[in-house]
Amino acid sequence: MRRAFSLYGHAASVEARKAMSYRADFWINVVLTFFAQLGVMWFLWKAIFAASGQITLGGWDLPGILRYTILVILAGKLVRGPEMASGLSQDIYDGGLSRYLLYPVSYWAFKYAQHVGSLVPSAAQFLLFFLLAPLLPGSVGAFHLQLPHLLMGVLALVLANLLYWLLQLPLQAVAFWADNVWSLSVLLRFISGLLGGAMLPLDLFPEKARAVLELLPFATLFDLPVNALLGRMEAGQWARGMALGMGWCLLLFLASRRLWRAGERGYTGVGI
Amino acid sequence: MLRHLRLYLHFLRFSFSRAMEFRLDFFFRVVMDAAFYAVQIAFFGVIYRHTVLLGGWNHDQALVFVCGFFLIDALHMTVFANNLWWLPIFVNKGDLDYYLVRPVSPLFFLSLRDFAANSFLNLLLAGALLAWSLLRLPQHLEPGAILLYLALLVNGAFLYYLVHLAFLIPVFWLHSARGLGDAFYTLEKYAEKPDRIYSGWLRRLLVSVMPFSLIASFPAGLLLEGLQVKVLLHVLGVTALAFLVVRAFFRLALRTYSSASS
Repeated sequence: MRRAFSLYGHAASVEARKAMSYRADFWINVVLTFFAQLGVMWFLWKAIFAASGQITLGGWDLPGILRYTILVILAGKLVRGPEMASGLSQDIYDGGLSRYLLYPVSYWAFKYAQHVGSLVPSAAQFLLFFLLAPLLPGSVGAFHLQLPHLLMGVLALVLANLLYWLLQLPLQAVAFWADNVWSLSVLLRFISGLLGGAMLPLDLFPEKARAVLELLPFATLFDLPVNALLGRMEAGQWARGMALGMGWCLLLFLASRRLWRAGERGYTGVGI
Repeated sequence: MLRHLRLYLHFLRFSFSRAMEFRLDFFFRVVMDAAFYAVQIAFFGVIYRHTVLLGGWNHDQALVFVCGFFLIDALHMTVFANNLWWLPIFVNKGDLDYYLVRPVSPLFFLSLRDFAANSFLNLLLAGALLAWSLLRLPQHLEPGAILLYLALLVNGAFLYYLVHLAFLIPVFWLHSARGLGDAFYTLEKYAEKPDRIYSGWLRRLLVSVMPFSLIASFPAGLLLEGLQVKVLLHVLGVTALAFLVVRAFFRLALRTYSSASS
C-alpha cells in the first residue's frame, strides 16, 4: 500500500515538473489568460448592472459578482485541470494502455495522480492572485476569508476536481469504440460551464431551473466550492452539496468501471 | 489563381471522403457545436432576464449578433481550425518541410489543406440559427443590408483566422504553442460580447491591434443601427492591414525555421 502511494506521489511529482517546464507557457497562462478572462466578465457585469439600474441581481451586488467571477476563474482551473492531461483516450488509441495493464497498480489511480500533479501551475496561480486580490479597485478584492469557509471551500474543490475527472472517464472510455473523443470533452466543458456556474452564478437562473440544476453533478463543480469560499453557504447546505457530489462520484465510478471493462474486452493492444 | 482553386477542390474531396470514414466522430462534432450554440443562447437568455439592454442592444438584436458569431465560428471550424491545430505540430516535428517544397504558397497550403467536413453540417445549423434570429427581429431590414451583413461575417471569419494564426506563429521561436493558444481562446471571448460593453483603452485595443470586436460585433452594429461608411471602411481596412502584417510575420518566422526538431 505504502509503495503504491509512493509511486502515485512520484507520478504526480513528475507531471508537476513537466507542467512547469515551459516557463513562457506558464506565465502566459497564469497572467494573460487570468486577466483576459476577468476583463471580459468585469466589463460584462458592469454593463449589465448599469443597464438594469438595479443594485443587486439574483442576490448579488456588483463587487460580490466580480468576487465570484475571480474565484470561479481560479477555481475552474483547479477543477478542470489541463485539457486531456490524463490522456486516457490517447493510451487507447496508440496502444499505450497495454503496459499499464501489466503494472501492479491501478491504472486509474496512476492517471489521477498524474492529473493532480498537472494542477501545480493552477494551484500556484490560485495562491498568487489570492494574495494580490486586495490590490483590486473598490471593494472587489475584499474577500474577508474565514477559516471555516476556507476549509469548506478547499474540501469542495478537492471533491469538484475528482468529480470532473470522473465525469470525463466514461467519455474517455468511448475511445474504445470511436476514433476521436476530443469533442466529447469539449462538450462537457461547455455544458458544465453553464450548468455548473462557471459562466454566471446559478442564482441568476429562473427558480425552477435552479431546483433542477442543484440536483445535477455540475453544481458541485463550481457553484459549491466558490460559494463555500465566499461564505455564502450554511454548513447544512454545504454538507448536502458535498453528499450529492460524492453520490455522483460513486455513480460515475461504477458506470465508468462497467464501461471500461466492456471496452477492455474488445481492446487489441495495437491501437486504433 | 485557377490552380489554387483546383487544388482546393481536391482538398474538399479528400476531406469529405475522410469524414465519411469516421461517422461517430462526425456525429460527436455536430453535437459539440450544437451544444456550444445552445449554451451561448441560454447564457444570453439568462442575462436578459435581468436587463432589457446590453451594449445598447435588446434581446432580439443580441441574438442576431450571437448567431452571426456562430456563423463565423462555424466557418472558422470548417475551413481553418483543423489546419491551424496542426501548424505547431508540423513546426516542432519538422513536417513543415513537405509544405515548403511544394509549388504553391506554403501559407495557402497550410491554412486550407484540411477542410473539416464534419463541421460543415454545423455551418448549415449556424446559418439556420442566423436566419431564425433575423426573422424574429421586429425591425424591417433591407435585403441589401442583410447581404452586406453576410459579407461582413465572411470577412469576420477571415479576420478571426488571421488573429488565430498570429497567436500560433510564435511557436517557431517558443517551440510550444500551448500558452499562446490558450491565450487566444481566452481573448476570443471578447468577440463573443457586444463591443459597446467595453470602454477606454481596452475598447481601442479591441478595434485596432487586437480586432476581436470587428469580427462579429461591428458587422451586427452596421446591420442593426444602419450603415456607416466610416465604420465599414474601418473594418475592411483593419482586415487588409492584419492580412499584410500576419503574412509578413509568417515569412519572418519561416526564415527562423530550421527543419526537424526546430
